[in-house]
Amino acid sequence: MSALTALAQLRAIRDGIAQPITTVRHCHLAPHPMVFIPLRLAGEAAAPMGAMVGTDPGHPRLLVVPQPRNRDLRFAFTAELAEVVLPYIEGFGKTTETIEKKGGEPYERCLDAPQILVPNPQAVTFVGLLGRSTRFRRVDGPYPVHPSVPLLGRWLTYFADRSQHPGSSLLLTATEALGAHWATGQSGLEDANLAALLGWIDPPEGMTGPGAAEEAEDPLLWPPAGPATDPGFDNEVLGPAVRAYEEAPTERAVERVAQALRTQLEPTWRLMWRSVELLRALPEGARVKDRWDVDRGSFTRFLERVTEGGPPQARRDGAVGAAARLAGLERARASYDVQRAYDDPLVMAEYRLTGEAFAGTVTAADPEHTEGEGRSRKLRPLITVRTEDQVRLTPGATVGSPDRRGHAAEIVEVVDGEVTLKITKGMGRGRTPSPGSVPEPGERVTYTSLTDDFQSSAALPDPELTPWTHGGPPQEYVPSDEDAQEEWS
Amino acid sequence: MSESLDALERRITGLRAEVRRAVKARENSLARSLRGDLRRAEKAWDEAISAEEPVPASHEPEPSLLPIREQVHQALALLGVPAAARLVVAVNDAFFSRALRGPQLTSLRRDEERSFRSDPYARPYYLCAALTDRLSPARGLLADSTWEPERRVLGPLSPRVDFLTSTMRVAEHLTRLPDPSPAALRLLSRMAQNIPGAVESFAPADPAIAIRAARAELEVHHAADTRQRAEVAARASSQLSDVERLFGAATMSTLRGAC
Amino acid sequence: MNGRLDELRGPVPSHPHDARAIAALAANPGCARRALLDAAGVDKDRTARHVGFPAPFGQSQFAITRGNVFEALVKENGCAELLRLLRELLGLPVSEVGYQDVENVGAHLRHSHTRALIDRAARESEETAVFYDHPLFSLEIAGHTSYLEPDVVAFQLGGRFHIVEIKSFGVIDGQAEPQKVAGAARQAAVYVLALRTLLAELGHDPERVSHDVVLVCPENFANRPTATLVDVRKQLAVLRRQLARMTRVDRLLEGIPEGLTFDLAPDRDGVPTRSAQELAEALCQVPARYAPDCLSTCDMCMFCRDEARGNGSTDLLGRQVRDELGGVSGMAEALGLAEGTLEPAEGQEEVARLLRTANLLREECLR
Repeated sequence: MSALTALAQLRAIRDGIAQPITTVRHCHLAPHPMVFIPLRLAGEAAAPMGAMVGTDPGHPRLLVVPQPRNRDLRFAFTAELAEVVLPYIEGFGKTTETIEKKGGEPYERCLDAPQILVPNPQAVTFVGLLGRSTRFRRVDGPYPVHPSVPLLGRWLTYFADRSQHPGSSLLLTATEALGAHWATGQSGLEDANLAALLGWIDPPEGMTGPGAAEEAEDPLLWPPAGPATDPGFDNEVLGPAVRAYEEAPTERAVERVAQALRTQLEPTWRLMWRSVELLRALPEGARVKDRWDVDRGSFTRFLERVTEGGPPQARRDGAVGAAARLAGLERARASYDVQRAYDDPLVMAEYRLTGEAFAGTVTAADPEHTEGEGRSRKLRPLITVRTEDQVRLTPGATVGSPDRRGHAAEIVEVVDGEVTLKITKGMGRGRTPSPGSVPEPGERVTYTSLTDDFQSSAALPDPELTPWTHGGPPQEYVPSDEDAQEEWS
Repeated sequence: MSESLDALERRITGLRAEVRRAVKARENSLARSLRGDLRRAEKAWDEAISAEEPVPASHEPEPSLLPIREQVHQALALLGVPAAARLVVAVNDAFFSRALRGPQLTSLRRDEERSFRSDPYARPYYLCAALTDRLSPARGLLADSTWEPERRVLGPLSPRVDFLTSTMRVAEHLTRLPDPSPAALRLLSRMAQNIPGAVESFAPADPAIAIRAARAELEVHHAADTRQRAEVAARASSQLSDVERLFGAATMSTLRGAC
Repeated sequence: MNGRLDELRGPVPSHPHDARAIAALAANPGCARRALLDAAGVDKDRTARHVGFPAPFGQSQFAITRGNVFEALVKENGCAELLRLLRELLGLPVSEVGYQDVENVGAHLRHSHTRALIDRAARESEETAVFYDHPLFSLEIAGHTSYLEPDVVAFQLGGRFHIVEIKSFGVIDGQAEPQKVAGAARQAAVYVLALRTLLAELGHDPERVSHDVVLVCPENFANRPTATLVDVRKQLAVLRRQLARMTRVDRLLEGIPEGLTFDLAPDRDGVPTRSAQELAEALCQVPARYAPDCLSTCDMCMFCRDEARGNGSTDLLGRQVRDELGGVSGMAEALGLAEGTLEPAEGQEEVARLLRTANLLREECLR
């Protein structure tokens, strides 16, 4: 949240339509994402009631659990879901590229990776819980399941974990993706309703944003996007249908539950694909591809782990694992924030407002300026930038610029809207700067103290060296009988 | 045929929306009548679709030849102590016909009382109430009228004592069966989990160990419970009429007993 | 003062608060409309429906069934499951197993029976039980008595009472949804307060009611219950403060016009005869402080949101947005300052400068 976004919200109210808060798209959007809309039985943590899933807007697959308290039916649902999801995921493992890494072994990376879209963060939680409740299941023993069930469980766990990683696009939520690009005239709480959010962004012909959003709040017109269902629907429609199935578990009874769930899922299915269209229409930010490369790498490593027969993810991280994960998330968060600002002048404007960045026109340049004598003589071009922004950077501060990759400078002086900078990086190894590496008078430039070169890793010990105060080295996680036989009410 | 199905589906969808709108507005009588319309439409849809595709008969569990009261009596005889409907159903499911359902038991006590009042002691046994220390009927518990009065009254320790006793009885019954059902083993495991030392955490319960552990805890409560029950039973026999001794006294009249 | 509150409510009995409603009283304490409606015991749900803004709350029968089934499981066989949990959690000795079902007396006697049993337990006389099932407490809310039904009260040797709260949301790998735990803690705090009040009335030390409540939830994906102690001291402090504030409604009453009433004037069939328009006007006489959080706590939320929209208040968008706008409360005002069509008032120069810069930056970037 920033003053710029707050202002955009006021504009949205006045104009009756959502306002853009970015100039580019900051998430990757796959050519064929998989949309997954799960519904959960009210009152249960992870009992699936039904779902709509698929990669073709015209052909959703409807999955139904006619009696969600029945564990066999629930596992049958998971197996059916696996039939749809696993081939989609595994299809990306077929084509890889070899990445040469400086000072490291070359490694393989999948050319592309799967992308799953769900309506909202609650659906991500549900994906994680469904993964948790299925990944320890066994194909033999007291409650045997189909082999695809624990495998799907591991993948769902992976996707849910990965979605916590800022900047990752493997599992996206529609409400968050849309909310990162548009400001509406309602609160964040109300934006959590996908239909209302889209009402503001893309109202139907002849309607205003607030009008469409208000209509979207009526669960009879726009059923909730899940996983929670509308209580009125549960009591009036679903409840009787499930009871009818209990009394006579016939094909007809299943069809009746399926019909009921279809009415709740189809509107959201259409909204999901409309979200995809709206996001796709935005030009992609320059660094989105870099982050997707990281996603592809992560996906490839997990795919290898699964293929090699590694154990399912532990119930809980060990001490070092947890700390490393946290540090990794923090770095990713900081890096994602900087990358967005570099890719998008409207995001950078937030830092200009706080004085951590400025934009202006170059008024003077001394491209061949040097410092030091003899062998330690260094090329240090000087430029002066005239800016209207309130600069809160002090002499000596290191700054970067979104205009040139690898470019770095140091603030020399800030006087009356004139900033003098000394360029320290990115002008080549010659005695004179390589062409185009030093901004010329008249050029429009932006500089900021935000930089993306973070310490590569916090000083954490390897997991094997975990101090005894933190529980000592973790044991390799071996799922127990207890995990496998865990009761499923 | 399919055209009328389509029309019915449209009608059902429309009615559902109307019902929910009415419920939301708390227009109860309108909602009720709309619901009736909806059910009729759904029934018509069910009939229309089954005309297209015949439905195989559903598999109901084999109905038991015993009347419900006798099935309940059978379970109570196994347990030997007053029990809640849920436990009676679980015991029936584990050892007997597997056809008993919770809702069938709700009006049982009332029916038995009516029968006793119209023709006392005509039946060999009645399914009656357990009495609290205020001599009122204990909520939800079923007992056998032929049991001695001390068994049919409750002191504060009695729920625990009866739980331990019934666990022992279930375990004993299991040892007598050559091939106990999984439901029977599950029932014992679930009960034994709540008795210290009666079960290894995730292994199925061993009846002998369960009996030993339940007996050990029973020793702790037995004397005090017997004393308290005897006192309540004595009050019941001196203060209550025949029908009240079986089905409990109305709460107002027992005020003199406790407090 | 009570006379004035009765007048506000009209000739219907005061709407009783359950623990959830009492816990919710502490939300948005700055809202005078809500404070007054609650103090007068007005049925907010009915009121909101009558003015055409029903609250978007509802409970699914599936969730209700699940909750009931789980509670029955925890309590069956004389609270056998709960006993196991308390033995593990509080080190309850094996001899302590007594069980009393307060509901064994008629409904009209439950409250006095609870008092008698709790008094006996506090005196540690013979036949003290560990479990008091279905107790009924009372708590005075701004002069009106509300009756409360905690799940179970546990009493153990060592003379301490514990409130037991049974909830059917799952604890998965040691973690539960924080909002649900917070909700359970707020509700349990109401019971702790009610039991402490009862002990004090009976002349016992109220501190014998532990501020640690026993929260019982299903573990992982099974029905097997697990128990945790939850410290509710903070929730208790918030609750006390809010209840004390409610006894000071006289200050709120000072500002409102003579003869104001929220009476629905129901006819013999209970159908309100008062026009929605008239009732809405009466409600608007008492200022509300709408915030988006109201949407999850207050029956009046849709009405107040509509009103806030009409007023063009930045409250609609949430606290954070208002902070970003330098505390400016009107939308037109904030936009006017940003676009330079409105001269900043004295002391507003800094905010105006910030908003104008922000506006210029947006326009520059979106050109």
